[in-house]
Amino acid sequence: MTLNRRKFLSNAAIASGAALSPWRLALGDSKNSGADSDRILVVVELSGGNDGLNSIVPYADDAYYHHRPSIGIKKPDLLRLDDHFGFNPGMLGFERLWQSGDLAIVHGCGYDNPSFSHFTSMANWHTAAPNGGDEYGWMGRLADSMNPRATPNSIIGVGSTQSLAVKSQYQTPVVFDDPSRFQRDGFVQQTDILNSISIADNANATRRYLNQVASGALASSSLIRDAWEHYQTPVDYGIAPMDLPKVAACINKGLATRLYHVSFRNNAFDTHVQQPALQRRLLSYACDGIHGFVRDLERLGLSDRVAVMVYSEFGRRVPENANLGTDHGSANVMFFAGSAVNGGHYGEMPSLTDLTPGDNLKHTTDFREVYATAINGWLQQKSANQVLKASFKPLPVFG
Amino acid sequence: MHYMKSALAIGILAFTTASLSYADAGWVGDLSPISADEWSQQTASHLLERAAFGGNQKEVMLFTKLGPNKAVKRLVRFKGVSRKDGPDFDHSGVFDAGLDPFPPSRPATTELARTSGEALGVKVKESGNRPIQPVANKFFYWLRASRLETDRVSYWWANRMLNSPRPLEEKMALFWHGHFATNEDKVRDYRKMLMQLQLFQREGLGDFRTLLLGAAQDPAMLAFLDAGINVKGAPNENFAREIMEMFTMGVGHYSETDIREAARAFTGWNFEGLDFQVSEVLHDDAEKVFLGQRGNFDGVDIIDIILEQDVTAQYIAAKLYRYFVRQDLDASLQARLGSRLKALDYNIAAYLEMLFLSRDFYAPASIGTRIKGPVELVVSTYHKAGFLEVPGVPDFNLTTEALGQRLMHPPTVAGWSQGRSWITPSLLFERGNFVLDMVFPDIAFIPPDRYPMYGSPIVTVHKRLKQGMDITNATKPPGKDNAMMAASNLLADRDEAFNTRYASYRGWQMAIERVKPIPRHTARLNLSQEVMQANLKSPQEVVSYFVERFLSVPLDPETLKMLAAFLEKEIGTNDIEGAQSYLEEPLRVLLHVILSRPEYQLG
Repeated sequence: MTLNRRKFLSNAAIASGAALSPWRLALGDSKNSGADSDRILVVVELSGGNDGLNSIVPYADDAYYHHRPSIGIKKPDLLRLDDHFGFNPGMLGFERLWQSGDLAIVHGCGYDNPSFSHFTSMANWHTAAPNGGDEYGWMGRLADSMNPRATPNSIIGVGSTQSLAVKSQYQTPVVFDDPSRFQRDGFVQQTDILNSISIADNANATRRYLNQVASGALASSSLIRDAWEHYQTPVDYGIAPMDLPKVAACINKGLATRLYHVSFRNNAFDTHVQQPALQRRLLSYACDGIHGFVRDLERLGLSDRVAVMVYSEFGRRVPENANLGTDHGSANVMFFAGSAVNGGHYGEMPSLTDLTPGDNLKHTTDFREVYATAINGWLQQKSANQVLKASFKPLPVFG
Repeated sequence: MHYMKSALAIGILAFTTASLSYADAGWVGDLSPISADEWSQQTASHLLERAAFGGNQKEVMLFTKLGPNKAVKRLVRFKGVSRKDGPDFDHSGVFDAGLDPFPPSRPATTELARTSGEALGVKVKESGNRPIQPVANKFFYWLRASRLETDRVSYWWANRMLNSPRPLEEKMALFWHGHFATNEDKVRDYRKMLMQLQLFQREGLGDFRTLLLGAAQDPAMLAFLDAGINVKGAPNENFAREIMEMFTMGVGHYSETDIREAARAFTGWNFEGLDFQVSEVLHDDAEKVFLGQRGNFDGVDIIDIILEQDVTAQYIAAKLYRYFVRQDLDASLQARLGSRLKALDYNIAAYLEMLFLSRDFYAPASIGTRIKGPVELVVSTYHKAGFLEVPGVPDFNLTTEALGQRLMHPPTVAGWSQGRSWITPSLLFERGNFVLDMVFPDIAFIPPDRYPMYGSPIVTVHKRLKQGMDITNATKPPGKDNAMMAASNLLADRDEAFNTRYASYRGWQMAIERVKPIPRHTARLNLSQEVMQANLKSPQEVVSYFVERFLSVPLDPETLKMLAAFLEKEIGTNDIEGAQSYLEEPLRVLLHVILSRPEYQLG
């Protein structure tokens, strides 16, 4: 029953998008892409460089406490995962997911010649083209590969600005912050004239861009707003849910969107100073939000369709600094969460004694393997090599 | 006279289109100065759009008459312009000595109170329930008060942007605020934010070395980048890294070793209260090797070595170019601009004078191709609409935040991304909605500096307490099932020495008692008077008048026709004069439509 209702809503959503869309011909194509075409990927960014070593703590390794005499988390304070690792005490939400087998931990994720600049490294993660760069984001390129022609609502980024991760050559990413405000206010007699878009001045590329965004906005706004208005949940996402309830609302509404990007914004995890209390609090927010999201989807009967992937632009320096904090580092832990996830550890924990010259972890998993896992393993696309511009073997997170 | 004015207004449109071919594409990359006979109403208008917050009709006429040299001198060198400043910022008086130094977090504050019996100038109660509560209250009081006072600083600044006889001074302050990006959320002291802003206003057009040193030794910056805890034997790299990556050279022109060596040179830099201080004890005086040079460098030496690098001049020159001229510039132009800036000894006014006089600045590729930033959009709209004061409704800070640029709150140390990243589907709508709020102010407006929009749960706390509920129950989050409660919400009430939610509530109450309210007058437009004075006869003339006054790019004839037909329908006639008595509302509806167009975002 649920499935039928959802399918119906999904088609209705597409139909109403088509009525407004200048690209209605393209819609037919996207609907023909097959039975597994309703899996959804939600990518969560922890901006600022989350300290993976104080998130998934290798408490059985003495080297950990040697490097972190002050900010190392003592064994009794950890939420124990197994006989080697423990969660940061703030990660209650993830502990719950771990216990229900809905959390995959991928160790040692990074890339060669890592950048220690937030912005450069984040761009590397956003483009999946480390040290080479790309004009478009990996999710944007993925959206293009999934929708060869411009398709309304193919990719959504919740945020006050557009993330490079979703920047796309052919799609207009739907970027909004507050869904209830995603509308053009105006009086009834203004409706037509406010929605009219004039002939583009061909010489002025910025003007063309603005007109393109204007048509995209027209095609998406009422759907998103409607999704948000019709969404209510008893599930507690915690204090700072990172826009995940908005994503749940869109999925609940049956939007055709299969790629979502949200962020714990504003470099929050950049814990150079007084890290322990701060990171614990941030992690509690992030993990509560993701845990709430997974449970909410279960409540809606949609959990088998949605997987969450979590990343950050880098991990942090292995030895603590003099200010009860950590400086920019390299390899880091990533996560998948959701009912379809085979819970457990993936990848290899980097050595804490064999560090790089700058006292950083040597990465053991190329982060693009994790992206390939999301693209091929989860979304069942064959395009990972094309999107990532090299061949990466997916991890068996989704069987 | 009236007739001439309107004829002129309509004439400009045609001229705009025609002159695109006049200033030929060959001007791209041409840094030689534009000549007086190449100067036009269009170039004057373009200059005001970029080097000021747009020009009203009077200013466009004046700048057309002045010719290129005098026009640029007036904006950059303030020739013939008043040197007088507007009123100083009016402090509410929220600060007291006990607040300095302000601990880094609430846990650090309550821990200090627990161990020392006092924090923030407040003593711990000797006995009774929640002995640390008054300290926690004071902590949240200052967070709120400083934030609200910062909003008043932003209002003060916005009014200067709108009214200053030297608008470029304010526009440069805005540029440097995005360049040396510092956020009040972390600094937590409006006094430091104000001081930093005044540095940008004072030095923004001067010598870049003075400005850079000022910014590097500025308490807001030192607090924001945790420089204060960078000490001998345990250097903290953050400050050194951002100085090189964001403020001077850009990534890729130094090694990780250079960062560590520079961090050592900056050890001991700190602030006390509002003063910069260097601690000789905490400063590492030993030898460093930085960018190939060897010596017992301190922070000032490092900055001077950075300024010697060609790449620094290129980085700053290109960033200014992108802000004022165009987003796209190639490596060769960047190199040329860098050597110009260096040859001018990093004098920003001299460099901008060169840019604003260059033919490149007036090339067709430069005109009407830049997306206005949110603050510019709002201020220039008010300016062109003839306002002399920033309205209290809509709220300036909420409006610009919704558009993606709240002053004193840049998203990261990289400031705001410019150009196309100002626009998303949702933000494009917000820009139109702002105009609607300007022409028809929201009658349900609730002042955010009185009502806690961001912490509305404390309103529930307030109501419950007044009904006689105990603090623990009054502060439980409403409407959530305990079994489903998230970990972070379960944690909130655990510490019995104080209650965080209660402290948040009391802190707000104490803050609004002390912070002066922002005046909440709405804008007073009088579009009909303007239209009558311009002697406009027909809907077509009215549309052309508004388009020419507000837009930097021409609209196609079909759109103009559609807009005129819309206005005619709204007023029920094509006789503007005859409709005079009820013209105001239709004109506002029309202005909203015109300024909601994607084309209005271009400047």
